[in-house]
Amino acid sequence: MMPELNALNFSVLVSFGVFIGLLGSALGVGGGIFMVPFLVLALKIPIHQAVAASLVAIVATSSAVAAVNVERGLANIRLGITLEVTTALGSIAGALIASRLDAGAVQLLFALMLFPVSALMFHKGRKGPAPQAAPAAGPASAFDSAFFDPALAAHTPYKVKNMAPASFISFFAGSLSGLLGIGGGIVQVPVMNLLCGVPMKAAAATSNFIIGVSAAASAYVYFRKGLIPLELTAMIVTGVLIGSFLGIYALYKARSEKLQLVFSALVLLVGIKMLLAAL
Amino acid sequence: MEKSFSEKKFASLIQRTLLAGVFLSALLLFAGFAFTVSGAPAGTTLLRAGILALLLTPAARVMMLIYGYWRGGEHYFALASFVVLALLGLSILV
Repeated sequence: MMPELNALNFSVLVSFGVFIGLLGSALGVGGGIFMVPFLVLALKIPIHQAVAASLVAIVATSSAVAAVNVERGLANIRLGITLEVTTALGSIAGALIASRLDAGAVQLLFALMLFPVSALMFHKGRKGPAPQAAPAAGPASAFDSAFFDPALAAHTPYKVKNMAPASFISFFAGSLSGLLGIGGGIVQVPVMNLLCGVPMKAAAATSNFIIGVSAAASAYVYFRKGLIPLELTAMIVTGVLIGSFLGIYALYKARSEKLQLVFSALVLLVGIKMLLAAL
Repeated sequence: MEKSFSEKKFASLIQRTLLAGVFLSALLLFAGFAFTVSGAPAGTTLLRAGILALLLTPAARVMMLIYGYWRGGEHYFALASFVVLALLGLSILV
């Protein structure tokens, strides 16, 4: 049963969208991690349609946030477009695999994915902000870039290394995205930060840039298969767009460590509920 | 490398493309809701157009990357952008 377009559903779904948009733009927490379980557990939406709606919402957050990040010079576009090649390939593969799996299997995979995500968020919240990557030595590449970091009030140049393994892993980040309706930043950001040596802020902005294309690629597959629930998605997306812009301009400086801990507990809880519902 | 097409202009082109897509989508969605609530049959069409406009925004952004990198003489990145656009085209067909 799809929720109809009425005043109650409209306000609930738009508000939920605003919440997801705020999370995505102010904290960089992927909306899909909360959106898919909310749609499946609370609204009883079939998981394939929940994943499809989530992918459309991810395109919305990514596009809104990228518009601002590109202007600030935070997103490394050369790095982004190069990793997009394998990420998009992966996300198409992921969407095709998902369309062949039954709802129970997708739900189980989703639940299993939430546990490491929760652990990762907990770790990030405990540790506080990641230390700045030391300027890497090595040959210059076309991917090297720089941005102005307002927190350090300094111009921050950096070198990019290990593009081949990063491209390889991006394929799997894309697959996860297309299969489960999450952005994939949870894989993409650590890969760019730890493997490529991109500073955290630039890695997060570049990941957001990449995610728009990979989510769109898998969303096209779902769209073709008629799996995007129109009114539901439209209501959520409206909220997500409002939330994304609010997040960019209002909460730009929000401290996220404490919230990461809260969310890691929430993700764990959601994971257990999803697991119980899948079994 | 042609310098007239600066990095700054390029960034602003991408930004305007993304914002145009997002605002067009929001406009269509709002109109769609208004029509749906008033019972007009055009509502569903407008909502679908709003979702489509949003989904095509990343593709439009990739097209701008092809244009920008080609103009700037960075053919490697123009090619990478073209491959991504081709993959997006493929995903509509599969």
